[in-house]
Amino acid sequence: MDMAEDRKWGMVVDIDRCTGCQACVIACQTENNILLSTEDIVQQSRSMVWMRIERYWEGEFPDIKARFIPIMCQHCENAPCEPVCPVYATYHNNEGLNVQVYNRCVGTRYCANNCPYSARVFNYWERNTAAPFMDLVPPAQRVAEPMNEYLNPDVTVRTKGIMEKCTFCVQRIHKVSLDAKARGEDIKDGDVQPACVQACPTGALVFGDLNSPSSKASKMSKDERGYHLLEDLGTAPSVTYLKKVDPQHAGTPSRTH
Amino acid sequence: MNKRPPILLGVIVIVVALAALIGAQVVFAQLNQTPVQPVGFLHATHAGQLEISCLFCHRNADKGSNASVPAVQQCMFCHSVVAGETVDKQTEIAKVREAFGSNQPIDWLRVHRMPDHVRFVHEAHVRGLTARYPGITTQNLCATCHGGVSNMVQVSQVVRLKMGDCVACHRATGAPTDCITCHK
Amino acid sequence: MEVSRRDFIKITGASAAGAVLFNGCQVPEREMVLESPVRIPEDTINSFENWYASVCRQCGAGCGILVRVVEGRAKKIEGNPDHPLNQGKLCARGEAGLQALYHPDRIRTPLRRSGPRGSGQYQVITWDEAIAELVSRLDDQAKQSSADTVVIATEPTHGLSAHILNTFARNYGATLMAHEPLEHTALYAAFKNLFGQERAPHFDIQRAASVLSFGANFLEPWLSQVNYSRQYGEFRQGGRSRGHLVQVEPRLSMTAANADDWVPINPGTDGVLAMAIAHVLITERLADATAVQAMTGGAGADALAAFRPEEAEKITGVKVDKIKELARGLAAKSPSLVIGGSGPAGHTNGLFNITAIYALNFLLGNIGKSGGVQFNPAPPTPELAANLPATPMRTWGQLASRIQNKQPKPVNLLLVHNANPLYSLPPTLGFGNGLKNIAVIVSFSSFMDETTAMADLILPDHSYLESWGEDSPDPGVGYQAVGLQQPTVEPSYSTRSFMDVILALAKGLGEKTRSGLPWDDYKGALEDIGKKLFALNRGSVRAPDFASFWHGALQRGGWWDTQSSPTLPNPRPPALSRQMSLPGFEGSDTEYPFYLHVYASNSLYDGRGAHLPWLQMTPDPMTTVSWQTWVEINPKTASQMGFKEGDIVIVESPAGKLEVPVYVYPAIPPNVVAIPTGQGHSSMGRYGERRGANPFLILSSKTEESTGAMAWGATRVRISKTGKSYRLPKLEGSVLAVEPDDYKVVEITR
Repeated sequence: MDMAEDRKWGMVVDIDRCTGCQACVIACQTENNILLSTEDIVQQSRSMVWMRIERYWEGEFPDIKARFIPIMCQHCENAPCEPVCPVYATYHNNEGLNVQVYNRCVGTRYCANNCPYSARVFNYWERNTAAPFMDLVPPAQRVAEPMNEYLNPDVTVRTKGIMEKCTFCVQRIHKVSLDAKARGEDIKDGDVQPACVQACPTGALVFGDLNSPSSKASKMSKDERGYHLLEDLGTAPSVTYLKKVDPQHAGTPSRTH
Repeated sequence: MNKRPPILLGVIVIVVALAALIGAQVVFAQLNQTPVQPVGFLHATHAGQLEISCLFCHRNADKGSNASVPAVQQCMFCHSVVAGETVDKQTEIAKVREAFGSNQPIDWLRVHRMPDHVRFVHEAHVRGLTARYPGITTQNLCATCHGGVSNMVQVSQVVRLKMGDCVACHRATGAPTDCITCHK
Repeated sequence: MEVSRRDFIKITGASAAGAVLFNGCQVPEREMVLESPVRIPEDTINSFENWYASVCRQCGAGCGILVRVVEGRAKKIEGNPDHPLNQGKLCARGEAGLQALYHPDRIRTPLRRSGPRGSGQYQVITWDEAIAELVSRLDDQAKQSSADTVVIATEPTHGLSAHILNTFARNYGATLMAHEPLEHTALYAAFKNLFGQERAPHFDIQRAASVLSFGANFLEPWLSQVNYSRQYGEFRQGGRSRGHLVQVEPRLSMTAANADDWVPINPGTDGVLAMAIAHVLITERLADATAVQAMTGGAGADALAAFRPEEAEKITGVKVDKIKELARGLAAKSPSLVIGGSGPAGHTNGLFNITAIYALNFLLGNIGKSGGVQFNPAPPTPELAANLPATPMRTWGQLASRIQNKQPKPVNLLLVHNANPLYSLPPTLGFGNGLKNIAVIVSFSSFMDETTAMADLILPDHSYLESWGEDSPDPGVGYQAVGLQQPTVEPSYSTRSFMDVILALAKGLGEKTRSGLPWDDYKGALEDIGKKLFALNRGSVRAPDFASFWHGALQRGGWWDTQSSPTLPNPRPPALSRQMSLPGFEGSDTEYPFYLHVYASNSLYDGRGAHLPWLQMTPDPMTTVSWQTWVEINPKTASQMGFKEGDIVIVESPAGKLEVPVYVYPAIPPNVVAIPTGQGHSSMGRYGERRGANPFLILSSKTEESTGAMAWGATRVRISKTGKSYRLPKLEGSVLAVEPDDYKVVEITR
């Protein structure tokens, strides 16, 4: 009874479809019990976002363009964050996920330091209303009841001192796998949809088994527009980006392929 | 000038702390504790003598994460009629009828509990153990982790369920030992 | 090391205690209790989840949602894959709806004011008392003065709730008004004139080869963001050849950022540009000949002599070559679709602009065709086809005068639901000043917004996740579709559905008011509509009896019929206006050198989302700023005036002043500044109030000349320093995000 059957989860992000609407950002927040990034947290540049959209400017007024790119944990096969954790709280599992084990994490933040994609965020704040020393927690960061009612029961609520990041909605992967096993069936392509993929109105995000030749994600990851972020670093990310198409542009010189 | 070397102080501190730690383990562990339940329900009678299947009451065990306790209504299926043979039993059964009649839930005290950072899914284990040991009776399946409940007058945890025990069984049976399976 | 005995005991005691505490922190008592409920309702068995289909109410689009409910609590909102409008997709505001349900500042019971108005002092009353008081007051007004001293202010709506409100107001004799901050009045007036329909058309973006958008922010909250975004995805990479998008507007919006070409234009002159494009299309024989004949009365390009590209260039700022390029581009790639939105609509010549823009579709021959402007059939029953459109701002101005002057009749009773005119009507209109002349103000809001904070009686509504409802989306999808909204959780508090309250009021007021409203509650009314849908014997839900039909429709999230071919408009090409209409502005360009471009925030929209912290933390797509308001200023202008990011400046119009931090925005013309709507609430709960600035406060009360709609683009401003500064909370770093030439994060290909 082995859950992994040579699966390798991966994502494809089509930058030509992404509009920057932030639906994925909020879907992720609601699904994963992420601490609310209040104004002071954002001002400290410590926003708790697992999925973010970066906006780059190109050119100068009036010939100016803006580009959007959604960035989340790349679940690198050769992840720089994995070997540096002193307590082995993050590792690569046999389904291709870069896994963060919350109860092992002691908060050295070495992994976040090493991540070239700034994909990891650290819980600098307490938020459990039942925690000791609540008086020391600024009111804005305490979970104001009844907002605890919408917390997802399938996802751990992280306390202060824990590192977190995109998990490709591992709770959804497990739920779908377990349900499929209970029915005696296989997971079909498209059954597992992380919250961001599900919300994205333009269909820019696609998720699936990169090892299965028939899956949409696997096919799209081989698209000629495909590239990886910071490829030269050799992190071997599981996320493939499809280049933005701009007929007026010269195009970006491709570095490695 | 104090001639006592500083290292002695350190050793004393460590020994005291360790003693307290181990002491705390003993004091606060749940193994072999038998909480006194609000109603003296006898597994020995129901699961033992009457051989009622565990799943008849703990219906969710083969469907979801937690095994679930039955609603008072389910007790009343029988106990609206069955009043009990001895005075002691009648007293307890009266409590159930009272609860049902006055629309009050019964608050049982938990015996088996995983810490917050563990996600245990009953269904996967029921299915997995059934697949691995075809023909296993429900009683024996549940007894793997819960012990001989069908012999218990009052339920207590008799099987040690520390992570080491889980991992040992997972290794032996080929179940996943991926951290994220239980610690997501 | 010296250690005293006392210190030694302290240290060991502390370490022992620490060790025990660390390890032995008892599990909270509540976790060691397993409750046997008396009866287990089948849908709250531990850890099981149920999914309920409903309709999202975070904007007017009406997307279908699925709500995950675990143990009676809503946990996640997702798009309903079956609903034809959004097909399983959802936007940021839809996802954030859980916070509107579980919010610490929700009004939990009916309240009656116990201190002076605006003091925030209220006492809790029962529903019976609240309804009885309201019925008695309504009764009094009807008997004493006559009912038209009663004003009901709500949001624009359609369908059964519009039918009930219209009927109630008509029977009773109240004045019914709908407030929409960035009203679509001019847009819908143009649709009516051009296409002969009260409903918006369906823009078939996904099959267009080329889309020219004049200030239509269709990838942002405008009309139907999720539907248009889904279509946009297909438009770009749907397998057919990639579509070409051009966005014309003064400031590069998120939609413009996704366009292949952004054409900056002088505010309010979009109609002139559209007519110039028409001129080119006609002159170069690129337009549909029959349409040209009809639209110019046979005169051809001469009819549009006033709009020759050379003239248009002087007015719009768009060069002649560009105008020709736009026109030729539309003709070259077919089908091409032209749309116009809030930018051109929100001017004194808004109707002229929008009409000219949409008229181009006739010249391009895409009316009713694939990839063009398609029409939506009316909903299948009269109740579902009922409409309560936005009341133009001019009428609100007249109401404000009436309230202030008490002429011709005073307003004695104001009922407000899903509207916040104190926040979003420009103060120069005088609505806020007049409130003291209204004897009784009643609000049905769930939150203490500005208008509700002035209420004397509050009868809080349910959250949309706790209520019944329906929505035939407008704009629709090209066929009849009725989305069904159902309660996903039991109401948390002592709130009541607004529609239920209206029906209870009708019942209490007697025969005359109740006529046509036989239902005791809205659920009953909705089921009656369901029976009518069932009787149609067509569509997506077929069943042998009504109960099964209704069950099926609720499960799927609604009823729709892709097969029916209802009669659709077949509009004739309209005559083109020969007269140029230019935008008017409040403030001379010498005293007020900048155009103020107010735009809807992607997350807070028109201010209605400000109380939800998830929406507050959503970074703005273009600036990545959250939790605050900012004013966007061109880099050269900023440097000339000595501003840098975070400097708090005074943005002053003839109507008022605002203090706002600067954001140096690279994609806005030097003479335009932009401020997003949504913040600046004086009352909106702990997350929404007293942050940012509200641009509605400094807008002129100029209106669109034909429709009387709000002209939010008609304000000019001047900017001055305060010397203060504020660190803007934003996701991006402090260095301008431009990628180095040799190392791109976003790679681009032709």
